[in-house]
Amino acid sequence: MWPSLPLGAGRGWLPWLAPTLTLLAGLCLWEGGYRFFSVAAVALSALGCAGVRALCVRLAQAENARQLLDERLLTTQKLAALGELAAGISHEINNPLAIIRQEAEWLRELLSGARFQDPAQLLEFRESLQEIILAVERAREVTGKVLELARERQPVIQKLDLNRLLEDMARLVEHEARRKNIRMERRFAPDLPPVESDGPLLRQAVLNLLTNAYQAMEDGGTITLTSSWAGPDHVKIAIRDTGVGIPPEMLDKIFLPFFTTKPPGTGTGLGLAITQTIIHRLGGTISVASQPKHGTTFTIVLPLSWEPQEQKG
Amino acid sequence: MEKFKVLVVDDEDDFRETIVKRLRGRHLDTTGVASGEEALKAMEQESFDVVVLDVRMPGMDGIEALKEMKKRWPLTEVIMLTGHASVESGIQGMQLGAFDYVMKPVPLDELLDKMRQAYERKRIQEGKF
Repeated sequence: MWPSLPLGAGRGWLPWLAPTLTLLAGLCLWEGGYRFFSVAAVALSALGCAGVRALCVRLAQAENARQLLDERLLTTQKLAALGELAAGISHEINNPLAIIRQEAEWLRELLSGARFQDPAQLLEFRESLQEIILAVERAREVTGKVLELARERQPVIQKLDLNRLLEDMARLVEHEARRKNIRMERRFAPDLPPVESDGPLLRQAVLNLLTNAYQAMEDGGTITLTSSWAGPDHVKIAIRDTGVGIPPEMLDKIFLPFFTTKPPGTGTGLGLAITQTIIHRLGGTISVASQPKHGTTFTIVLPLSWEPQEQKG
Repeated sequence: MEKFKVLVVDDEDDFRETIVKRLRGRHLDTTGVASGEEALKAMEQESFDVVVLDVRMPGMDGIEALKEMKKRWPLTEVIMLTGHASVESGIQGMQLGAFDYVMKPVPLDELLDKMRQAYERKRIQEGKF
């Protein structure tokens, strides 16, 4: 977006200054970022050429960051509106679902006293009722998750031993993973201080990611669970698998509700959406990097100390 | 350590009796019951701060009991105990609001630590309400 300016060090750079400034101002206006112009102009007059270049780089970075934030905010708002709608529908659907289930169970009870001329018919009747109850359960799983996604659960903040939490969740998954010939590798930074966060929420997020990791590996592999510092006041959790990976064109969709790569009926497509919501609620960020056929890494960055966020979502 | 009231729910008599005895030894006001149904009945009678709940039990299983407990006593914290790691039920449990999900066997001190944290969380929540 910013041209590399012809500002060689040494003599002879002064004649360049005027056209450069004009160009810069034009670019700023063109970008709609004219508020930068005044800053840029004042700063330019005060700084030498190395400073100018550094300033331009900083401005470009700031502009990029702002655009990214705008996009994110828009996505967040869109998702919040969608979430509210979905939650409303889920709530309305839950009531009839409860009735269907109750009536099906009542029918099953009535059936124990009923007589059929053909006993095979009784069996079929029973199986049919069972199917109805199972289908209701599946529907309720979806509505439950949608409601979970939309619920404004205020975190309850406690000091947590992050490595302990990761180890607990790793152990839970390890047992099942071993059967699929999957190894669990830990790389925990030993010097992490306690993290102010919500234990149950964080456990849920980590468990979701670990499950995704082992589901991504069909014939064995390794899950690497890492904890480390991320700057002076943040910690990082990374969960890496050596599984099938995610195609690049899908990467920016995987956190969207109902986006799933699993066959119908096996996944609700809400796991990652819920995970992202949780991490945002904890004041953190979550990102993904993936190489098809080589594996995927999810990275969570959390603040060491938690402060209530003004913005919802 | 501050005292709080604990309910242990497990159908394995040996395990339950031992853990109740040991928790009492640590001066915790502890009650043991053998099923989800009994647990709900006990909770109707008196209030508990922390419930330690086995996942797999005959009759009402741990997940069902957890659902009912969180619905009726949302502030009571529930630690799920499981003999067989099942990721599926782990996720379900955490989603239903369990405080933690712990694999058996768990060293008593570790469990105590989790129980203290669960109790602290309850206290924080009560302060909010």
